[in-house]
Amino acid sequence: MRNSIALKNAFITKILRTGWGSSATLAVLSMIVSLLALCLCSYFAGASPLQVMVALFEGALRGRYALTTTLSEWVAMTLCGLAVLIPYRAGFFNVGGQGQLEVGAVAAAAVALSLNAPRPLVIMLALAAAVAAGLLAVSVPLILRLRRGASEVTTTIMMNFACIQFMYAMVTGPLKDARSWYGTTPPVPQAYQLPSFPPGSGIPAGMWVAALIALAAAWLMNSTVFGLYLRAVGSNRPAAVAAGIPVNRVLTGAVLMGAALAGLAGGLQLLGYTFRVAEGWSKSWGLVGIPIALLGGNPLGVLVVGFLFAILETGARSMQALTGAPAALIYLFQGLPVIIYLGLRASAWYSRWSQAAG
Amino acid sequence: MEGQWWAEFLSAVLRAATPLVFCALGVLVCERAGILNIGVEGSMLLGALAAVLAAVYSGNPWMGVVAALGVGMLGGMILALLTVYLPADQVATGIAFNLVCLGVTSFVYKLLVLGGVQLMAPALRAVRAPGGPVSLLDLATAVTPLTWIALLLVVLIWIFLFRTGPGLLWRSMGESARAAHAAGLDVHKVRTVAAVVGGLLSALGGAALTLGWVPTFTDNMTMGRGFIALAAVYFGRWHPGLALLACLLFGAGEALAFRAQALGAGLNPYYYLMLPYVVTLVAVGATGRAIGPRDAGKPYPRG
Repeated sequence: MRNSIALKNAFITKILRTGWGSSATLAVLSMIVSLLALCLCSYFAGASPLQVMVALFEGALRGRYALTTTLSEWVAMTLCGLAVLIPYRAGFFNVGGQGQLEVGAVAAAAVALSLNAPRPLVIMLALAAAVAAGLLAVSVPLILRLRRGASEVTTTIMMNFACIQFMYAMVTGPLKDARSWYGTTPPVPQAYQLPSFPPGSGIPAGMWVAALIALAAAWLMNSTVFGLYLRAVGSNRPAAVAAGIPVNRVLTGAVLMGAALAGLAGGLQLLGYTFRVAEGWSKSWGLVGIPIALLGGNPLGVLVVGFLFAILETGARSMQALTGAPAALIYLFQGLPVIIYLGLRASAWYSRWSQAAG
Repeated sequence: MEGQWWAEFLSAVLRAATPLVFCALGVLVCERAGILNIGVEGSMLLGALAAVLAAVYSGNPWMGVVAALGVGMLGGMILALLTVYLPADQVATGIAFNLVCLGVTSFVYKLLVLGGVQLMAPALRAVRAPGGPVSLLDLATAVTPLTWIALLLVVLIWIFLFRTGPGLLWRSMGESARAAHAAGLDVHKVRTVAAVVGGLLSALGGAALTLGWVPTFTDNMTMGRGFIALAAVYFGRWHPGLALLACLLFGAGEALAFRAQALGAGLNPYYYLMLPYVVTLVAVGATGRAIGPRDAGKPYPRG
């Protein structure tokens, strides 16, 4: 008994000592405050805050269809969160997740719609194409950063829009479904869609992939030399150079890893969830990955925050239908916690508090 | 017929470029003082909504412009508080600010148009409709006054930044906040002013979008125009005149996209919309080191 308490205490101190204990507290705090703000806004919209909350969470978690949707959203949110988080550790702010996701999905669609081969092979090739497209989309900002010193923030934003317009051009052009009156690809044939796993459970196979990747990322970032290098490069580049760390190679590795995950997210969502790429087919998963990564702070945190964001994304529709509070409020929730979190973190109050704490 | 087409095309270019010019100036002024104004998209949305609402309820489009200036200032102050005074990471704050603005504007608009009827704002009118034989005078009178204000601001901001003493000090903040501080300047004060001016100009860009072009509001109606302005500043090497040229070029891309089908060119219109970004990326890649003001984006701690 005493032993287990000691173990528990050791565990808690370990969490506190790793430093994310306090940031995680702040993140939770800011998300709670934002949820309260959401309630306040829905009150102004003439809906009862309690009903709004109930509708939001019931709409996302109750019933098989809702749950499947939420889990499918979670896949993209987790992967896009990681696509921001990993490069961010190395000091590269990958704002281009959205574009990488879009071209990833387009590439996967091109493969899945043109090949005629056994199912596993097509799925593998489509996902590989998605990853390759994501890598291609990030290569321009990466090269410009390494060779020209151009800030990756603006270049990835520009790549985002270029990729989105490219996706539009594809779905209204070469990949267009001839029977449709608007820009969309034909649906991926049933034979090449990602099955749910375990079969018939409604749990998207992509969820297992995303969860495994998040765990692998946690291991990579916390328990490997590469993870140490990553933090060294991100937190103090000159010191990393002086310590003989191959700075640019580490940065490149992290950025490519992130973009590959964003591209993979596009492929997984196409094959397992939306089944077609169309005008406005994707939610702003890539963009929302940024708040998720900032609030999550580490791969496991991304998993948790991603789930909350997925719930809100799915629940928003039933919230609007049942209570009349506009679904657009969800954008408010996606941005507000980050502002509160960053504001609190940067404030003098926080630095004094964290100094006193540890 | 040919002349008519050109007149319409050129006035369409100016119309599309006007919001971009305001926003690009907002970004440029901020970056020159060391603030990476990613929140430009959000400020633009705020300005667009405020302009529509004020113009509808007062019946006077100029009240819309005033309202846009008001909310732009407010947004700029919030950004200044977060990125200058605390100071939090500018890029992350800007992106979150954009999301919040998207939520707030969509929410407020839905609240105010409960019946689902689109609010149509009284638009700022051009002196005369485009058409007829082409002369410079025709073109000048076929655009809204906001276009003229935008062009005037380009000149004024160029003079301020590059031909006056305070402008030199302003730019020094962007190059090295520490050196500016050591020289006895109040970095935080100037950056606060910059953020507020940036918010004002971006919101004005939003007002130009609604009052000068599409006289109503829809969710996320800016559709990344703030980021096109950001690209224009990059393309224009942080110089007001060149940024104006970039805005005109990008405006032409947008105007061409609308006319692509009419032209009968087999090219998908979306390729024209891709143009600004691709051109900017190529320009960044092809020409030397694309480094703007050195300290742009770096928070300067207080203490």
